Amino acid sequence: MGMTPALDLDEVGVAYGAAPALENIDGTVAPGEAVALIGPNGAGKSTLIKAILGLVPLASGRITVLGSAPAGARRHVAYVPQADTLDPEFPISVGQVVLMGRYRRIGWLRRPGAADRQAARQALEQVGLADRARHRFGTLSGGQRQRVLLARAIAAEPRLLLLDEPFNGVDAVSEQALLAAIAALKEGGAAVVVSTHDLALAHLACEEVCLLNRRQYGFGPTQTTLTPERLRATYGGHALELRGDRVIVAHS
Amino acid sequence: MYQTFIEPFTFPFMARALAELIMLGALAGTVGVLILLRRLAFMTDALTHTVFPGVVIGYLLTGEGGIFWGALAAGGLTAVLLTLLTRNRAVTEDTALAVLLTTFFAIGVVLVSRESGYTTDLTAFLFGRILTVTAQQLTQTLVVTLLVVAALVILRRPLTARAFDPQGAQAAGYRIGLLDLITNAIVALVVVASVRAVGTVLVIALLIVPAAAARAVSDRLTVIVPVAALLGALGGWAGLAISYDASLHHGLRLASGGTVVLVLVGLYLGALAAAAAGRRLRTVRRTA
Repeated sequence: MGMTPALDLDEVGVAYGAAPALENIDGTVAPGEAVALIGPNGAGKSTLIKAILGLVPLASGRITVLGSAPAGARRHVAYVPQADTLDPEFPISVGQVVLMGRYRRIGWLRRPGAADRQAARQALEQVGLADRARHRFGTLSGGQRQRVLLARAIAAEPRLLLLDEPFNGVDAVSEQALLAAIAALKEGGAAVVVSTHDLALAHLACEEVCLLNRRQYGFGPTQTTLTPERLRATYGGHALELRGDRVIVAHS
Repeated sequence: MYQTFIEPFTFPFMARALAELIMLGALAGTVGVLILLRRLAFMTDALTHTVFPGVVIGYLLTGEGGIFWGALAAGGLTAVLLTLLTRNRAVTEDTALAVLLTTFFAIGVVLVSRESGYTTDLTAFLFGRILTVTAQQLTQTLVVTLLVVAALVILRRPLTARAFDPQGAQAAGYRIGLLDLITNAIVALVVVASVRAVGTVLVIALLIVPAAAARAVSDRLTVIVPVAALLGALGGWAGLAISYDASLHHGLRLASGGTVVLVLVGLYLGALAAAAAGRRLRTVRRTA
């Protein structure tokens, strides 16, 4: 160790008004590693991601991103929203969406340079959609749109990547493409935080898991932390099944 | 053709009206694209109504010249109120908006009704007086146009990012609240600049219709923006020329503001038909 962690959560608490949304979240993510945020709907996964982005104030504790406060690290952090929250009628091409990942580098008035265009093209290749650059974003399938948004994040060359439920409603081909692109980013030294319902994917893509439901029910290596007991505690009354090495959470 | 579309504008008052409408048409068409992307048509409609009492108060205080400044004050106030309202995500945002717009509008109507020439004044405020545009008004419109276009050019990337993906834009460090305030201020400025020429009721058409028509024919912003500006200017010119021609040569008194709007709607229907024809052509080509 001895390396500066990409993300350090130190007894983090967030409150909306008087109601606590998150309490005592504590753990670190090293460069090149991924952590899965796992918990039921309303557990505070999105809130934690927003806190890491510096978009919601902390009620307690501290978040350190790449050695500085979240707001100071934005240049090196990329965020991937859920594709289905975006307007499919928006008149913008796939290539332009990916180029958005370069906006902060390009600035306000300069035209995108050769380096920007190349970064965008390579990012689109990484998610397997290089041939779709000229298509309108909204004409792609949900899974493909999710891949385009990941390409936009890759084009920003982040050192910390945050993904909000990227596998929701995504087809198998897109799921594989997303996993491969995330693995490539990790190999390049980026740290990844991904919120998900899919425990199997957490096993596949993430070295660490953070189990949360308002408070933390475990933060550590996936193999030892993702236990049936801990999951049952995290999900409360919701039914839970184990099938082979696959864990299935059934929502009531 | 010459007689209808060129000749009338050899009169100075018609030339000024034409210059004003072409500028406003192009400006409103451009800003209309931003309204379309942000889905702010209802908010824009509210703005056109809340500007109304400002118009009336400005007129009552200092006459014709006070309209612009009264509208500007009311527009600025509304832009701030709307930004705060939408930011705090009130449970019934559209209800609050509707209450705000009718309240402001009613204040305007009550104020006008206290005047002696009630109906003439009200008509002028609601539907504008394009044929009495002065050189000073033209200058005001030009200044507003330059300001707004400069703001849109400088902020095109943040505004596009915010319109497409607000959460992503916020995560990238763009200040959403500030961008929204600027957007509302831009829309308010255009409404204010247009209000004397086309009135508070018809300005909404100038802002919405050209952009909608341009969106129908293209999926690309680099095409949509110039086409919307062009259609806005074209609608202003053709509407003015047709209303003048009908009044002079055919004994049909057509209100210029209303004619402009109807021409714009005609262009919109044409754009829809062209888009449908284009789609059919592509399908035929693909299956052939």
